[in-house]
Amino acid sequence: MAQVLVVDDSSTVRNEVGDFLKNAGLSVALAVDGKDGLGKLQADPAIKLVVCDVNMPNMDGLTMAERVRSDLGNSTVNIIMLTTENSPAMKERGKAAGIKGWIVKPFNGDAVLATFKKLAGA
Amino acid sequence: MQATQTAGVAQAMETIVSKVLILEERETERAHIRAFCVAHQLVPLRAQVDSVLAVLKSNLDLGAIFLANHFAGDPGGGLLMARRIHAVRPELPIYLRCGTRAEIDAMSDADARCVSASYTLETIDSLGDEIARTLFNLRYPSALVRGIGEITHAALSSQFNGLEIDVERPYVVKDRLIYGEISTLIPIEGSWCRGYMMLQADELDLMQTVRAERTHMQASGAADFRNLNALLGELTNLIWGAFKNRFINGRSQAVYAGQVPIVINHLHRYISFGSDNPQLCFQYVLRDPSDTSRIVKIHQRFVFNLSWSPEDFSENTQTLDALVDSGELELF
Repeated sequence: MAQVLVVDDSSTVRNEVGDFLKNAGLSVALAVDGKDGLGKLQADPAIKLVVCDVNMPNMDGLTMAERVRSDLGNSTVNIIMLTTENSPAMKERGKAAGIKGWIVKPFNGDAVLATFKKLAGA
Repeated sequence: MQATQTAGVAQAMETIVSKVLILEERETERAHIRAFCVAHQLVPLRAQVDSVLAVLKSNLDLGAIFLANHFAGDPGGGLLMARRIHAVRPELPIYLRCGTRAEIDAMSDADARCVSASYTLETIDSLGDEIARTLFNLRYPSALVRGIGEITHAALSSQFNGLEIDVERPYVVKDRLIYGEISTLIPIEGSWCRGYMMLQADELDLMQTVRAERTHMQASGAADFRNLNALLGELTNLIWGAFKNRFINGRSQAVYAGQVPIVINHLHRYISFGSDNPQLCFQYVLRDPSDTSRIVKIHQRFVFNLSWSPEDFSENTQTLDALVDSGELELF
């Protein structure tokens, strides 16, 4: 049972974000790409917040966000994209998929922790 | 801690240079050549006669070689050396200094093909055009060069904690040698450029940095080379993303986006992108203030081998103005 799912193909980012959130008292699950993320999300209904990269192998983050809604029928989980991308077109696609927010890397945990806790139901 | 400030980065970015190896034993002639180099944005380096080939195998990131025909005590020693260098490093232009015009005229066609240009001390200025044509033939907008230094500095600062980061002066190289053991390669595609960015690092240096807990990884993870790969990979991703956000206005409009094979020869630590164009290089030196022996060098190369139209370059100032600061959450 986890409150937050961190989805990133980079182990550096998974460590950085995952450790930060754990140290802040949140329970965290990790996934290596969008496909893995979908599986973990389906298996753990306790997850309230997904922090997700965009560019990943096998399944990118925006496709994953779309499929969370369409395939899993999960309209309540909060999805935040954490990515180097900053294109308005991608953000529009994310909004259409129902994502909650967008962060341009690098990750600054202190700046977002309060919002993450709220979105994770902590 | 981010010891090096952006102003320092900008200052270091002002002039692109190229390193050249001077193989010249005569002091007067060497001084003359050095003066020519300084006047033409070349950084002269020296090597001992008996270590030339070993030096060429090291990562000096050379642009060219200035070689005297009278070399190693032999009036024709320079040509012998030119043949040997050309055999192992054909990508490096060789400028051969001869004593007289007659020496140049007497050169065989085969020898002439080993050297890019021959000159006498009296005609050294004629090399200026040759250097401009072979080494500085691609114009790099200053905003691009400065911007690359800035975004890379920011990315390094986000991935390495408590290290001082120096951005060395950018330079162009004809060398094709790979530095270190870990390399990343990512396409750069835009309306004004198509090519690749490479990052290269020494595995042991990165490992020591992870062990010293100067990264986001646990020190115990240093033993697994995949973690070091991931570290350089994420750094590449950060720089690539920032580059796109700052300099790329959209994908190339070309209907047919051609590619060429990238050839890597592991034995010779050699990578070719199929183009003779010089590559734009940056070197970042990361120092640990608590242990001066702990240094990480990150080599960064930009190879615009597929398309290069600097006249169409522009910085995304509107995007920059509207850009949410990195790390901040933009809620929808």
